[in-house]
Amino acid sequence: MNNFDLILRNVTQRKMRTGLTVFGIALGIFAIMVMGGMSEYFSRHADRGLDLMSDKIYIVPESGFFGGGLVDSMVSKVRRIPGVFDAYGLLWMPYDMESLGMFGAFVVGIAPEKQELTLKEIKITQGRLLVPGDRYRAVVGSNVARQYGLNVGDELEIKSKKVQRASTITTARNFTVVGAMEFTSTDFDYMIIIPLDLAKKFYDLDDQLTYIWAVPEEGVDAEDLSRRIELGVENIKTFSPQELRKQSEQMLMVMNLITISAAVLAAIIGGLSVMNTMLMSVSERTREFGLMKAMGAEVRDILLLTMGESALMGILGGVIGIAGGSIFIYFMNDYLATMGTVLFAVTYRLMAVSLVFATFLGTVSGILPAYRAARMRPMEAMKYG
Amino acid sequence: MGEPVLRVNNLSKTYMQGKIPVHALSNVSFEVEKGEFLSIVGPSGSGKSTLLSLIGLLDKPTSGSVLIDGIEVTTVREGEVPKLRREKIGFVFQHFNLIPTLTALENVDIAMRFARVPKSERKKRAVELLTHMGLAERMNHKPSELSGGEQQRTAIARALSNHPAIILADEPTGEVDTKTRDMIVRLLKDLSEEGHTILVVTHDTAVAQQTGRIIKMRDGGIESDNKVIS
Repeated sequence: MNNFDLILRNVTQRKMRTGLTVFGIALGIFAIMVMGGMSEYFSRHADRGLDLMSDKIYIVPESGFFGGGLVDSMVSKVRRIPGVFDAYGLLWMPYDMESLGMFGAFVVGIAPEKQELTLKEIKITQGRLLVPGDRYRAVVGSNVARQYGLNVGDELEIKSKKVQRASTITTARNFTVVGAMEFTSTDFDYMIIIPLDLAKKFYDLDDQLTYIWAVPEEGVDAEDLSRRIELGVENIKTFSPQELRKQSEQMLMVMNLITISAAVLAAIIGGLSVMNTMLMSVSERTREFGLMKAMGAEVRDILLLTMGESALMGILGGVIGIAGGSIFIYFMNDYLATMGTVLFAVTYRLMAVSLVFATFLGTVSGILPAYRAARMRPMEAMKYG
Repeated sequence: MGEPVLRVNNLSKTYMQGKIPVHALSNVSFEVEKGEFLSIVGPSGSGKSTLLSLIGLLDKPTSGSVLIDGIEVTTVREGEVPKLRREKIGFVFQHFNLIPTLTALENVDIAMRFARVPKSERKKRAVELLTHMGLAERMNHKPSELSGGEQQRTAIARALSNHPAIILADEPTGEVDTKTRDMIVRLLKDLSEEGHTILVVTHDTAVAQQTGRIIKMRDGGIESDNKVIS
């Protein structure tokens, strides 16, 4: 029996109640979209970042990322390990020298000839990559370009700090933008790539490096090579692509757990509001359900009517929540991009999960009220009210 | 004479009020022929509404049986009850009991939905029935926009929608003025003349006098069962 028109009628006739319930669900789904959007962004960010690094072994100083201690000579040592196709160092400095360097743009020193190995399939949307011989030239990531309104030919001021005895000397130089990268949803969006040699000089770091990439030869097991590099070169720590992925997944899992559980909690509260509404609606319509049974309605007819109603409210709430969340994320990303960052990603997966969850929530919340309505004895129901 | 439409055999119903048994109905037996228009009268507590609810499968008897169209409806499985209600019985209630959010047309339509009648047929029959009830101009109005008489005529149209073997009317004129009451009784009488079997429970002797047979009940049993000579 197709009773969708009856379901629709009941939902639309009780506008205030439906509106409030749908709003409750929509809020929950909005929370799922926003929190989930954040999770999606971070997992995409990590995934894409890992994809770009999946063919390399990541080498950091044994004392940690910020401990310093990698020098040029180590690159040669790594390169000499059998199975290493190539190795090169990078210098990684925060763009804003006053910041902690955890967020925002980074200045990355890369040897021009190693750019393609590092950037892989990332496209240049404007201009070109660095070429050997370039000096105060830079290639910028999409978020950097957006934040500072940079186009090819524009100048970008980069500062470095030097501590000399009791004073700090800040040097500022203008770098000409020669290229801009596409949006990748990875750390590359935050990069200002400058020539490595110049970077060392500019930051007065002599032969220091932040980390080293080692590219294994074809057919060489990266795990095994990673261990051999760690054993063969002193004072370093290596991370194979698998280890990087594992670490990243663990971090993401914790983050997803926090964001998703907060969002699910919000959505469950929305679900309880549907249950409350439906219980009220069923008790108000006791006589109506009794009458339907007296007319020969089957238990499944009543179940379908009541659960259909709550499912419809769930779907409505879901659609509104998804739309609201997507609009919020769109404007939020737009706003954040002007500050050089992006925090959310709306994916079809997120939208589908949100809609399925909203429908599920609506339907499940309707089970108890529907059961109550369906089990009503017509005689008692007709006497009621 | 053929098989009676309704056969009630030694029907009894005992309720428990706490630990005290209340005999609402004791050994009631009677038969109703097709096309009969009969009334069940009696004071409050005489058992007439209990009898109606047992015939209408709204309640289960303590003992005895009810046969509608030769089918013993009192022993059917719980799952079969809705089908019997749809196919054999049409209800008309004192409080009209229309669904407030639906129009007159939709109120008639909904009974046929439960019987899985195709949409086009439902609409055609609902329009036909409401037109027959003199509601051609009112069928798109909601119950709140209809008078008591119009609501009860809608309820009668709904009761007729699935071609039931018998129409059970519980105080159908209990909430209308005398003019409307006469109109409803005339309508029910016309329907019985068209071949519909109608059983009316009423307090109103004026209504009972218009029917072809009056069953008087007292203390859960039949006091008298007489044909009305018009």
